Amino acid sequence: MSSGSARVDQVLGGGLIANGINLVIGSPGCGKTILCEQYVFHNAAVERPALYLSTVSEPLDKMLRYGESLDYFDTSAIGSRVIYEDLGRHLNDGGLPAVLERVTTLLRERRPGIVVIDSFKALRDYADDVADFRRFLYELAGRLTVLAVTSFWVGEYERDAVDGPEFAVADAILALTVERTAERETRVMQVLKFRGSNFLSGKHAYRISSKGVEAFPRLADELDATAYESSSVRISSGVAPLDAMLSDGYIQGASTLVAGPSGSGKTLLGLHFLMNGARLDEPGLIATLQENPIQLERILNGYGWSLGEPGIGVMYRTPVDLYLDEWMYNLLDEIERTGAKRVVIDSLGDLRASGIEELRFRECIYSLLQRCVRKGVSVMMTQEVPELFGTTRLSEYGISHLSDNVVLLQFILDDSRLKRAISVIKTRGSAHDSHLRQFDITGEGFVLGEAFIPSPTA
Amino acid sequence: MHQEGPSAATADARASESSQAGVYSMGAVVRMLGIPAATLRTWEERYAIVLPQRSTGGHRLYSRDQIAQLSFVRDQVDLGASPGDAFRLLDARMSDYARRNPDRDVSVLIILAERDVHAAEFSEYFLRTEGYDCLVALDAQTVMESLAERTPSLVVVDLLISGGAGLDLCREVKRRAPTPVLAISALSSQDDALDSGADAFLQRPYEPIRFISTVKDLLGASAYLRRGTAAS
Repeated sequence: MSSGSARVDQVLGGGLIANGINLVIGSPGCGKTILCEQYVFHNAAVERPALYLSTVSEPLDKMLRYGESLDYFDTSAIGSRVIYEDLGRHLNDGGLPAVLERVTTLLRERRPGIVVIDSFKALRDYADDVADFRRFLYELAGRLTVLAVTSFWVGEYERDAVDGPEFAVADAILALTVERTAERETRVMQVLKFRGSNFLSGKHAYRISSKGVEAFPRLADELDATAYESSSVRISSGVAPLDAMLSDGYIQGASTLVAGPSGSGKTLLGLHFLMNGARLDEPGLIATLQENPIQLERILNGYGWSLGEPGIGVMYRTPVDLYLDEWMYNLLDEIERTGAKRVVIDSLGDLRASGIEELRFRECIYSLLQRCVRKGVSVMMTQEVPELFGTTRLSEYGISHLSDNVVLLQFILDDSRLKRAISVIKTRGSAHDSHLRQFDITGEGFVLGEAFIPSPTA
Repeated sequence: MHQEGPSAATADARASESSQAGVYSMGAVVRMLGIPAATLRTWEERYAIVLPQRSTGGHRLYSRDQIAQLSFVRDQVDLGASPGDAFRLLDARMSDYARRNPDRDVSVLIILAERDVHAAEFSEYFLRTEGYDCLVALDAQTVMESLAERTPSLVVVDLLISGGAGLDLCREVKRRAPTPVLAISALSSQDDALDSGADAFLQRPYEPIRFISTVKDLLGASAYLRRGTAAS
């Protein structure tokens, strides 16, 4: 059963299994009701309607009023294919037996395909003891199991407190939580149980928007042993002398890390790469978290370029409140949409600042690079190094190890003059010139000079 | 044992009585048969053949027999007949049957051999709303006793009844008479069921409409049409 969101379905290995009992748990405000309503509106049909049964946690009117502001909420469906009912009155008047009786009547008369009980946890308080609640669960599950009904039991359960009898009865348990790192909050979904089905393990970021719950399945591709066409075509870096250092440019589909201190020309080297591609009919995309499009246009204009040139795309996202997986999916979608063959990510440091742990960051970059190489997309990533002079470490996150090529930009103090130097540290699968070469940044962009020979007094 | 409550052993007599008792509201009939309320009112005023009882508050209450009658009319209209012709045909069959069977129970009897009490409860409800008479038996022994006393038009058999005696039950029903058998199981036992003489198989859980459609297919027509055919 689809949620109507392809990526939520992806987390669940393709969707929920129809006719099962699903427990949706999480703290208040984490989107449990929204997710269930998504399933309801996406799947309900007049001949097999969905029943949304509220209990005593939230007034039905309030639930409907908030629901109406969401895109999936179809007002015309209310009363025909989507039926909201308040179980609270039955619960207060007759306790759990009255709930059982009411649900039975609704199952008989409405013949629903989906039944949501929200909040299910509130029902616990009406049981005399655990045994009483177990009896109620047994009776309810018995009724729901013999009919072709997919059930959602919604509750404000803590993710670590999953020892209630309803957790044993449920076929699937989906937890929605908010994780806090310092002052940042990240919404995370996790499948805790899914009988008879594969699902994506681990935690997956999600957001709530007017479209409902949108998930970003953890980008952690396993080793893909299937063959793909490996290119031996060389593509220009956009700087001819650098191409010569690289033995005639980069290999198409290769990943390149450009490391250097602030102001050393990393972004400019990326722009050379993109502009060269655009002029050779190879569309390019700069995914920037540094300069916004106006700032970027100003930089480009300084070198006689423009974002308006055909074959140049920009994906600008602010590093504030960034979800790494969401950003990765945005980038993959944008690559697909624009047909980009060259991509510049500026910069890895901003992505790393999303607060994600190092191992996860590497998994994510690895998966992105693997997906790109299979599509013949060449990726250049910029990485700021902390030392202004005398670089001792390229990357704190082990990304240089994942990259095919590493180009280092440095400042060198030579006879009290600040000079720039470029060197190729690594080219996987080909030879390269290992000399350190001086370069200047002019109105033409990168202008490489001779091999760097420090003055005797330096 | 027979199930207590609406389907207890004494249900035979009560079913016969209640088949003519007004129990279903107009809203329920609209949902069950898919006939708009305005159409039901028009038919009632124009043809005056299916006349529901009235509650003390003046609400219409339709009996199970009337559900079957309206279901018959709806089917005739769906087949292309005008409502007038459908009601004339209904009237003719009702008169004919009443003349031939002045004292007999007019219901189509279905025996529900069910292991699961909840499944039995729902199935009985769905069948009764379609106008069928039901006898629920929750073990194989009770089914055999019922078969000795009554001749059902259809037997629904849960294959897991009495620890898995359903296949034997299918064979026994068929040995006694050519009664249609609908086998049901939570397991995918279709081949075994058909090999044991079942005429159809449904894997649980199933949609109520699928269950009802299968029953109707096995009976050959709607409950009332079948009764009419048998009578004529």
